Parts: sequence; structure tokens; C-alpha cells
Amino acid sequence: MEKPFILHMLTTAKNLSPFDVNMAMDAGWVSAMSYTNIEASEVQGLVQDAIFSRSAKNLKRTSIFIGGRDTKQAMDMLKIAKRSMIPPFEVSVFADPSGAFTTAAAMVAAVEYHLLTKFNTTLEGKNILALAGTGPVGQAAAVIAAKAGANVRIIGRQLDKAQHIADLCNNEFGEGKTNIQAGADADKAQYIKDTDIVFATGAAGIELLSAELIASAPQLKVAADVNAVPPAGIAGISAMDDGLLIEGSVNGAVGVGALAIGNVKYQTQNLLLKRMIQSDKPLYLHFEHAFDVAREYIKSTHAK
Amino acid sequence: MKRSILHMLDPMPNNSPFDINMALDAGFDVLMPYNNVKLESVHGLTQDAIFSRSMGGVKRTGLFIGGRNLGLAIDMFNAAKQAMIPPFAISVFADPSGAFTTAAALVACVEKELRIKHGKELKDCKAMILGGTGPVGIATGIITSLAGAHTTIVDHLYLETAQEVGVQYNRRFGCDLHAAVAGSDKEKIDVLRDVDLIFCTAKAGIQVLNAKVLKELTQLKVAGDVNAVPPLGIEGVKREDNGTPLIHAENCNAFAVGALAVGDVKYHVQHDLLVSMLETEHPVYLDFRDAFKTAQKILG
Repeated sequence: MEKPFILHMLTTAKNLSPFDVNMAMDAGWVSAMSYTNIEASEVQGLVQDAIFSRSAKNLKRTSIFIGGRDTKQAMDMLKIAKRSMIPPFEVSVFADPSGAFTTAAAMVAAVEYHLLTKFNTTLEGKNILALAGTGPVGQAAAVIAAKAGANVRIIGRQLDKAQHIADLCNNEFGEGKTNIQAGADADKAQYIKDTDIVFATGAAGIELLSAELIASAPQLKVAADVNAVPPAGIAGISAMDDGLLIEGSVNGAVGVGALAIGNVKYQTQNLLLKRMIQSDKPLYLHFEHAFDVAREYIKSTHAK
Repeated sequence: MKRSILHMLDPMPNNSPFDINMALDAGFDVLMPYNNVKLESVHGLTQDAIFSRSMGGVKRTGLFIGGRNLGLAIDMFNAAKQAMIPPFAISVFADPSGAFTTAAALVACVEKELRIKHGKELKDCKAMILGGTGPVGIATGIITSLAGAHTTIVDHLYLETAQEVGVQYNRRFGCDLHAAVAGSDKEKIDVLRDVDLIFCTAKAGIQVLNAKVLKELTQLKVAGDVNAVPPLGIEGVKREDNGTPLIHAENCNAFAVGALAVGDVKYHVQHDLLVSMLETEHPVYLDFRDAFKTAQKILG
């Protein structure tokens, strides 16, 4: 009898996200087991309990998912999990706190696609404003884009908090090679003047970029908004938009809305969850792998 | 046929992924974890489980009791048994911290070597459980004592800790656990000088017995170590050892059983017990006694 596919799902929160549970089941995991309120100090014990109770062959049918709400905690837990493996007793681990890694990867990959097709250029050297970028999606998007060569400015209501997040992104996730700076929301009218790309990753129902600011952005090329609840985070972008001209942009900028990003995010998470099932070797997956997969997915849909 | 369901009760905030993997691999279709379960909730949870399925469904339903505390797990096990209203009764298996199955495997492995190498039985022997106040140590002590060995639980810090274990578990199971304390090498030599069997159940990654102590022993016949994380519990014992000469015990004819040999038997014991819950016609109530019998059968 073939042993069932088991995904051990760890979260620092008091519950898993039903989003992740549905995604895991739909990707082919037969049992998704929940471990809640997990602290980093418990990860080694849980991982070793998981790896020492199946044969090396059946460990290929076993993986760990790390959820939660905090990017750094999730990345720390991923590192601890990886260190806790005792080859050949090892399993794949996928971190996607708040779904932020796959959401951010989908957004950046969609933006990159429109940059290439509409403006024949790449993320390299572009100035990006990450509006309300201090949350998990904003952080991951900033790091992914900065690793691709963009100059990213994380905008928050409080400059000191935004600065703290920018430092965290550069030091913890960017391996010191990223250029991520901070800015205050009050100064965005100034920053928008030489901005090429906008990521809006704010809470639902808050307009972060007005029509007036869009009109005063001479270099703006692509603006992406993850907010699906009206009013949109960026004036003039609706949730379904996927490369539609933004009304009032002097540079012919295009918009990417939440449902277009959501579709790529869904596919990306699904593919990563399936990849753990299919892989012969253990995988350790986070935002970088999510970005690779999101790029491949977008490329494959447009090749058809 | 209805899907088989294992209700997994745990006083801790989370179940062990070890038990989850084992239960699914044994063939349970659905596992439901219940966390932070208190002893007083067990009666109600058990009756909720037995009264919601038909007789056919009841046979496809089981209860697993985990956690880290041996006494609490046994209390929960008894509370679950008492909550059954035949014919509404389901199988229950307690294995807190995996301690019952690990201890059962450890004692059965040591017993086998004792028979093969020395032609002796547990009842002929004096046994010491080092690091004996943790779950695996206590379960090991109970099993060896009930098998007739003169058994002493050794704590590395306080005699009182070992004595409390003795008082509590002698009352519960009618075993006869003695208590000792040994922290320094000298104390260990004094305590261990005339023992036949050593069970090392201390924390992973801690060496409890070094070559200097082992050299002073004269009666030692078999030593078992459940620690799989270097440094291992007994100097010179390797994880793969299974009846291997214990090199540093040079003044006696002693043999070693390492953590992987024990772990392999433990795995099969836990698997077989979980499978038996699915296959049985009548509810079974499984604790360390059944684990030990199963381990002996596997080795024998």
C-alpha cells in the first residue's frame, strides 16, 4: 500500500489559514495536519519527530509548510527546519507566511512581464515605490524586486517603522546586496516624480495613490495593486486589470489589479505545493522560488 | 465502509508529528487532533466519540493519548476506558512522548541479548535506569520491575526526584522501583558496581557513562542506550550496536544495544499496535504492557 502524502503545517498564529489548507489539499496532499502557536524553539523537535517516523522512501511523501503572519519568523523557522534535517532523513519545507511570498512573487512577476511587453525593459535600475510596503507582502515584493536590480523605497506612515523594515529586508533577506530604502507617506508626492513602478500593498479599502499623483508621475510605467476591495489602492485600477492603460498617466503606464495578481499567486502556490510532492530531493522554498515559478507560469500562459 | 477515524487527545498545545505519521501509515483514514485536553474532559470527549457512530462505525474509531507526562496519560487512558458503554466502546492506545513503545523496545532488546549472551532472564538481574525520571526512564523502570528485575531509578541531581517516581508508580502499577542519585563518576561507580543491566534514558546529546566508570564495573551484562544524538549516552556504544561487545567495560563480559536498534523495534511496535486497533473485532486498550509483549514477539 502506498503511504499517504502528509503535509505538516506549522504556524506561529493560533490557527492555520483555510486558504493554505485548501491549497494543500487541492495540490494533492492527502493529510494536512495543523500545528499552531508554534515558536521557533519548537521547530527542531517537530521536524525531527516528522523525519524519524518514516522511511527515507516515505519521507518523499512528507513535507512541512510554514505559515504565520511574520516574514522574519517564517524565514527563521525555515532555516531552523533545514538545519534540523539528518540526511537521509529529510523532507521539503515551504515557507509562505500570510501567503505573502507567493502574492509578492506573483505581483512582481506580473509587473516584470508588462515592463517587458509594453516598455521593452526590465526591473534592473528601476525606481520602485512600495506603498504601505511595511507588511509581509510589501517586504517580500521589495526584496524580490531589489534582487532583480531595482531600487526600492518602502513607504509607510511612520518613517522610523519603514526604515526598520527596509533595514530588515536588506540585512535578513537581501544578503546585503539589495538597495531598499525607506520613505514617509507624507513625502510620496516628491518620490513619485522619478518613480517607474508602484506596488500598492496596503489594507483593503484605502486609496494609497490618487489620480492627482498618477498625473504627476512622468516616468511611471507599471502600477500594481493587491487590494481587491473598493476603493482600489491605486486610483483608476480595477481588480480585473492586467496591463490596461491607467487613465490620466502621462507616460502611458499600465495597471495590474488584485484578481490578475491573485490568479498568478494561486497558480504559484499550487505549483510549489505540487513540486514538493514530485521532487526526488528535499526542497527549501521561499519567496525566491515563488518568484521563479511565477515567472515561468506567466511565460507559459503567454506562449500559448 | 466508513472511514476510520483516530481521535488524538493531547494535553499539550500540539500533537507530535511522529505519532501523526505513524497513525496515517498504519492506515487510519482521518486523524483529528484535540489539543490542550484536560483530564476532566476525557470522559465527555470519549462518549462523544462512541455515541456518534453505528456499531460498524465504532469499530472504525479509535482514541490515541499522547502528551509528555506519563502519569497524566495513564489517568486519561483510564478515564477513557471508564467512559465506554458497551457495546459502544472503542480502542484506546496511550503512548505519551512515544515513551511506552520506546521503553518496551529498549527492554525487549536488552532482554534478548541477556538471554542469548548470558542465558539469563530479567528476574535474575539487578537493573539501573540512568536518567530514569523522564517518561522513557519511568516506563523502562516499570516494565523491568514488573518483569521481576530488581530495578532502581537513578536521578543525576536529587534522590527525592527518583523517590517520588518510585512512590507514584509503585502505587499505580504494583511495581517495586527503588531510588538512587548519582551525579559524579564516583557516585556512578558506587551505584553501578554490582548491576547486571544498565538502561540509559537520559536526555539526547548527553554522555552519562564514560570509559572510566565502565572500567570499574564487574557484573554488567547488557547496556541499552536510547540516545541517538552525539555524544551518545554511554561511551563506546554506537547507534547501530545490537549485541555488540561494550569495549570500555573491560572487567566484564558486557554487550551493548544502541538507539537505532531500539528505534527500529519501537517503530514496529507502535505500527503494529495502531494496526491492531483497526483490525480488532473487540476494543483493545493498549499501554506499555501491550507494547512490551509486542516488542518481545517482534524480537522473538
